[in-house]
Amino acid sequence: MDMEELAEHILDIARNSIEAGATRLTIAVAEDTEENYCCLSVVDNGAGMARELVRRLMDPFFTTKSGKKVKVGLGLPLLKDAVERCGGRMEVHSAPGRGTRVTAEFPYHHLDRAPLGDIAGTIATLLAGNNHLDIFYRYNFNGREMYLDTREIRARLRGVPLDTPEVLIWLRQYLSENEEILHGGEDYEIARRAG
Amino acid sequence: MKSLDELDKLREKLQAEMRIREGQPDTRVTVAMGTCGIAAGAREVVTALLEEMKKRNVKGVTITQTGCAGLCHYEPLVEVEVPGGERVTYVHVDGDKAREIVLEHLVNGQIIKEWTILKK
Repeated sequence: MDMEELAEHILDIARNSIEAGATRLTIAVAEDTEENYCCLSVVDNGAGMARELVRRLMDPFFTTKSGKKVKVGLGLPLLKDAVERCGGRMEVHSAPGRGTRVTAEFPYHHLDRAPLGDIAGTIATLLAGNNHLDIFYRYNFNGREMYLDTREIRARLRGVPLDTPEVLIWLRQYLSENEEILHGGEDYEIARRAG
Repeated sequence: MKSLDELDKLREKLQAEMRIREGQPDTRVTVAMGTCGIAAGAREVVTALLEEMKKRNVKGVTITQTGCAGLCHYEPLVEVEVPGGERVTYVHVDGDKAREIVLEHLVNGQIIKEWTILKK
């Protein structure tokens, strides 16, 4: 990638979840410029992993994937490296049959911090070819919050596949515009005051 | 500004198009989305494909994704499979190439051979 983006790391983690059989993802990002805090998490309902596997996830080239496809095993180590470079920490919690939670916390103001980037593009890309995947996305910026639940969008589409190209384009623009408005502090359709 | 009302109008338009296309097989465009593909720019390729398809009003195409194909040094990879046609794999695809693939391959039916590596 030309410039490192947290949104691309989120895409990589979420792709791991999908390959582990997840049908629902909760992606949350919180940024607080005054409290100097940034946090992201990806939670899935996939197969989950035993504790001994979780311990090895940060080892480069370690992978739990099986089958004919090639596995690299660099996604989580790369994110961990990115998070630690900017003074943060990353954790993975998982249990067999109970899904997996990946969280990363770090200071908002840090010279080496990768920008969040095109998170709307990440959400749209995850849905491409994954019509039955549910994503709940929550973004909190300085206490103001927006969210998107693909189950609500799917219900509104009444049988039109969520991964239809025109719908994905609409979804990406819808999220981007609401994110911009959130940064500007105005009222908007899918955002609301936190709490 | 995008709104949920606009999504309702889009749904009505797409429902009408689905009725017309019912039963016809889709062209499948697959983007490799392993860690290597993502790091090489696969997400930008997906968004470029989507935007160009919308711009050119391309119908009957499904964009999907797969994991690492084992050709990390050729990423981003895009595979195009037209119903009844050969499967074509484009390599080192970026946003500009993705747009060109939509125009030449999906719209005009012409394979851009110099960007391909494998044909099955």
